[in-house]
Amino acid sequence: MKNLRIAHVVEAAIWLSLALLLFVNSFDFNQEIEIYRYGASAWPRALLLLIAVAAIGQLFGQWLRGESQGSEILSKASDDGAELAAEVSNHNNPKWLAWTFLIMTIPFFYMNVPGVVGDLLSLDKAGLNQAKLLTAAVLLGIFLLAIRGNHIGGMLTLPLLFGAFLQDFGFYFTAPFFILGTMYLMGERRWKNMIMVGALVMGIMLALFVSLLYVGLPTGIISPFYEFGTTIVNLLQ
Amino acid sequence: METLTNFINGTIALFGDPLGILIFLGGVIGGMLFGAIPGVSMLTLAAILLPFTAHLSPEHGIMLFSVIYCTGVYGGAITAILFNIPGAPENAPTAFDGYPMTQKGQAGKAVGAAVTCSAIGGTVSAVIMMIATAPIAGWAISAFGPPEIFALVFFGLAVASSVGAKTFWKGWLSILLGLLIAVVGLDPVGGIERWDFGMPYLLAGIHFIPTILGFFAVSEVFVQVEKKARGSYSAPKVGVDFPSLAELFAQKVAVIRSIVIGFFCGILPGIGATLAAFMGYNEAVRWSKDSKEFGTGKMEGVVSSETANNAATGAAMIPLLALGLPGGALTAMMVAVFQMHDMEPGPLVFLNSADLVWVVFSAMFFANLSILLIGFLETKTIINLLRIPFQFLAPVILLLATVGY
Repeated sequence: MKNLRIAHVVEAAIWLSLALLLFVNSFDFNQEIEIYRYGASAWPRALLLLIAVAAIGQLFGQWLRGESQGSEILSKASDDGAELAAEVSNHNNPKWLAWTFLIMTIPFFYMNVPGVVGDLLSLDKAGLNQAKLLTAAVLLGIFLLAIRGNHIGGMLTLPLLFGAFLQDFGFYFTAPFFILGTMYLMGERRWKNMIMVGALVMGIMLALFVSLLYVGLPTGIISPFYEFGTTIVNLLQ
Repeated sequence: METLTNFINGTIALFGDPLGILIFLGGVIGGMLFGAIPGVSMLTLAAILLPFTAHLSPEHGIMLFSVIYCTGVYGGAITAILFNIPGAPENAPTAFDGYPMTQKGQAGKAVGAAVTCSAIGGTVSAVIMMIATAPIAGWAISAFGPPEIFALVFFGLAVASSVGAKTFWKGWLSILLGLLIAVVGLDPVGGIERWDFGMPYLLAGIHFIPTILGFFAVSEVFVQVEKKARGSYSAPKVGVDFPSLAELFAQKVAVIRSIVIGFFCGILPGIGATLAAFMGYNEAVRWSKDSKEFGTGKMEGVVSSETANNAATGAAMIPLLALGLPGGALTAMMVAVFQMHDMEPGPLVFLNSADLVWVVFSAMFFANLSILLIGFLETKTIINLLRIPFQFLAPVILLLATVGY
């Protein structure tokens, strides 16, 4: 037992829980296929069984030999240094992980709360858009407060938030904020440089995707963001 | 002799048409650039261009994709070496030694080795492809059934699990997780929905391109953020000293070995350049006397991986054209180009559209040669990307990764 650490057990538990959860869920599509006698669930279940075996095998290996059981050369080659950086920054402690996880749930609140509120209050389309605007403003405020002192959490969440807002507010309105936000969270503080680089990146993106390739980037669906997006598209095409 | 005549005819057809030349050059430069720019890859360019090929002739459409394939595989090595972001899975082993070389200030040497060896690997592969396509296609048709293809794919997975993973078990867990992700969506036999959780977006499965972008481009940004937070981020050093002829000549065994490995991996349907690159690297480690130096910035690592993956590009056209079996995402898109023009890749293509086949073969030969010329000229420009602070590059990578697909 001396080689076994809590992290090893937690990892094995996560793999086994995933396998069990998906196995239970596989009954949803456990149907026969006329031309394939094993049915739709046989292959996924075989994979789940192998995952469980590999997870137990890994745990057993860690119990016997600890972490150093693979090729030293290849493990060195595939090490990107993130693990060491996280360890030194004390980003492995449960409190930090929980805080980061909570920040990362903010975009999912945006994706679900307006819909639930809309159903409860039987809102029409305009009302739902108002609910989305209000939710976005509140969650953005919470996000900005929550990432003070946790820029890693902010950086992990920002692309998710950008993705969540993209459909409603459009690429043309949200992308400049996303670019500036990323630069700020990456440690840049020179606003002049940030604005210049941001304008350059946006300019290239618009020229490439909108003017040259005619790729339909999301214009947004909520007014006045929709009008803003379509005006830019009309101007550039 | 007949091969040479066909090659000359194909070359005349390729360069005798101004539009053909334009498409060829566009494919060469576009493939390299999209392969080299972090966050996008040759697959992004190919996906964007796919609908436009309906307006081109079948020769031009297929030729464009084959040229993008050759140069894009090389272009992906640049980002693997400079930023530790492989442009495509086939460039992943290039990063194992290429990125440490960059960190040691030898970016120019690594890129120079990649340019030269990509060109050598690709050109030799193209020549063998021209000579051997017909006999190999005939043999493969009679020898390869589903059990053989399953065995080959399993072999590929076994190699992938042993390379790049910290331990044997972690390798297999990663492979199994990948296979599990591929299960999401409609069952290919019965059309039954599996693990789509009621989301229509998941019905078509989790697509290859966003997965690559997420695993390679986005994750690299996050790793750099973590390093920056700790204060350990150090901008890569820029070096433009290309390898000398003597240094390149010293790699001759690695080059020949990787051409052989690359060609045979490329010819196996459904496997292609990725396995070639991993096996080329793996064999380099196994054969080397000082194998412990691999992963710390050894030129042989870059040479082995890049020669093998480019050697696979020519070979990958054989199962595609002879059997209609694509070896990877880009060759799968080529099947779509064929279908847009009411054609099916397979043995009949050689009978009905021999002109098309030889224009494609000639284009691939010259695309590989042009890697050498344009690669050296362009590389010096691209190396300057390193001078851009990462905080300015990060939003571009994330933005392109989000909208690129």
